Amino acid sequence: MNTMVETMNRVTDALSAVELAQERAFCQTVGDFTVPNPRMTCRDVEVWYGPKQAIRRVNLDIGRNEVLSMIGPSGCGKSTFLRCLNRMNDTIPGCRVTGSIKLDGQDIYDKKLDPVLLRARVGMVFQKPNPFPKSIYENVAYGPRIHGLTNSKAELDELVETSLRKAGLWDEVKDRLDQPGTGLSGGQQQRLCIARTIAVAPDVILMDEPCSALDPIATAIIEELIDELRANYSIVIVTHSMQQAARVSQRTAYFHLGDLIEVGETNQIFTNPQHKLTEDYITGRFG
Amino acid sequence: MNEQEGKHPSTDLTAGHTVRRYDQELARLRTLILQMGEHVSEQGRAAVAALLNEDDCQAYRVLDREPQIDYLSLDADEEIFRLIVRRQPTAVDLRIVLALSKIAAEYERAGDKAARIAHQVLEWIEETDVLVEPVRASLQALGERALGMFERSLRAVAAFDVSQSLGIFEDEPDLDQEARELRELLNGSAQEGLSPRYAITLFYCAQALKHIGRHASNIAELVIYVAIGQDVRYRNREILIETLRHRGY
Repeated sequence: MNTMVETMNRVTDALSAVELAQERAFCQTVGDFTVPNPRMTCRDVEVWYGPKQAIRRVNLDIGRNEVLSMIGPSGCGKSTFLRCLNRMNDTIPGCRVTGSIKLDGQDIYDKKLDPVLLRARVGMVFQKPNPFPKSIYENVAYGPRIHGLTNSKAELDELVETSLRKAGLWDEVKDRLDQPGTGLSGGQQQRLCIARTIAVAPDVILMDEPCSALDPIATAIIEELIDELRANYSIVIVTHSMQQAARVSQRTAYFHLGDLIEVGETNQIFTNPQHKLTEDYITGRFG
Repeated sequence: MNEQEGKHPSTDLTAGHTVRRYDQELARLRTLILQMGEHVSEQGRAAVAALLNEDDCQAYRVLDREPQIDYLSLDADEEIFRLIVRRQPTAVDLRIVLALSKIAAEYERAGDKAARIAHQVLEWIEETDVLVEPVRASLQALGERALGMFERSLRAVAAFDVSQSLGIFEDEPDLDQEARELRELLNGSAQEGLSPRYAITLFYCAQALKHIGRHASNIAELVIYVAIGQDVRYRNREILIETLRHRGY
């Protein structure tokens, strides 16, 4: 009799596992993940860390001159997905990315493509400001110099000034360009990192919680800057601040346990999300 | 996970936050607004009773109690400001706060209509005219309809209940019909020798009652906005009722 009960339990467990697998396999993103004339297109993107799957069949377009925010609880895969966009995951042992990610129609995982060149086109700003232990000038000049973007010192000076101006930092540092970048305040360091990123003329800027280490005033300055940068670049930002996502982005994508649950206009996501998981997350109903 | 679960009319939309105090603050705001609505409902009943019974004491009581609604309205505003500052509501919470703020304004205006009826009662009660039977019965029917719709709006707000809201919409044609019949009756009575002042007074009262019913309709629209996330103002009522009833509300 006991054996029969055990067998029944095993069958029930197996059926539940199948149901769960089916449910996960057919997870469909709510909302339109496409945009007209996209800068980047991601199709059926899956990421594995060894045997563990971190991202499941994500389809998402990144538009030109738009800010796309990616939100979701910790461990949902938003930063993993962000790092796929400029092949930062290549540096992680055991990480495997499948599917297709294209930048202006070109597969960024093409073996012929140099990841260093890719990362110039798809720049990244990290959670903690990480200026090089060099002067403010050198922090910005380093990228253009190694990529050979300028022909003379005068051109490089101009590029450094333009980049610092675009990052809203020029007026604060123009008289101390030879001083260490690490001597700036946290907010200034983050803007220096943004200047360093835009100095190599990227098409896309990825930002992984760029304001989480900053005070509200420095955060406001960065948010203002993001809005200005949108005129020239596509920006993808991962943030844990719902208000920040609502303030800076035009589209929002919500991730949950490796699935892209919902994507849509930011206004719609924050006023009338279509998926209950999205609503539960943004209204603070997650246990 | 792939299933879009949509909105959940049966569950308490104010509950379930990780921060329990948020639940309490939303529930407290809703209770305050409902308290306001109940006051208005009592005021409406009392005003209609004063009108039908030509009872000046009742009319004075309505006017005396009117400031209570205004005070509740101020309290509700304060709660709303506090909630927005503390919680920065989004999605359904944002809809709840916005809708409750507008519902408070609807209640406040409906309370003004009850006071207007009381004022009219006090104005004509000193005249020699009396309320003749067909007009009285017609006023009573209109009052029942409008206040019935209003009380239904309280139930709709209490549970953000779409079905109750649809019930209010379904009453709208009857409200309009009864208001029209009363107006025709008053026109006829005026031709038969009813003093113009008396006819105008009753016409004002009828208008006030009809507006109370209209406030209930506005509240019903806001309840639907909270529950299903769609702004249904200015939508064709018949199609809306049919669509939502078809969806199981």
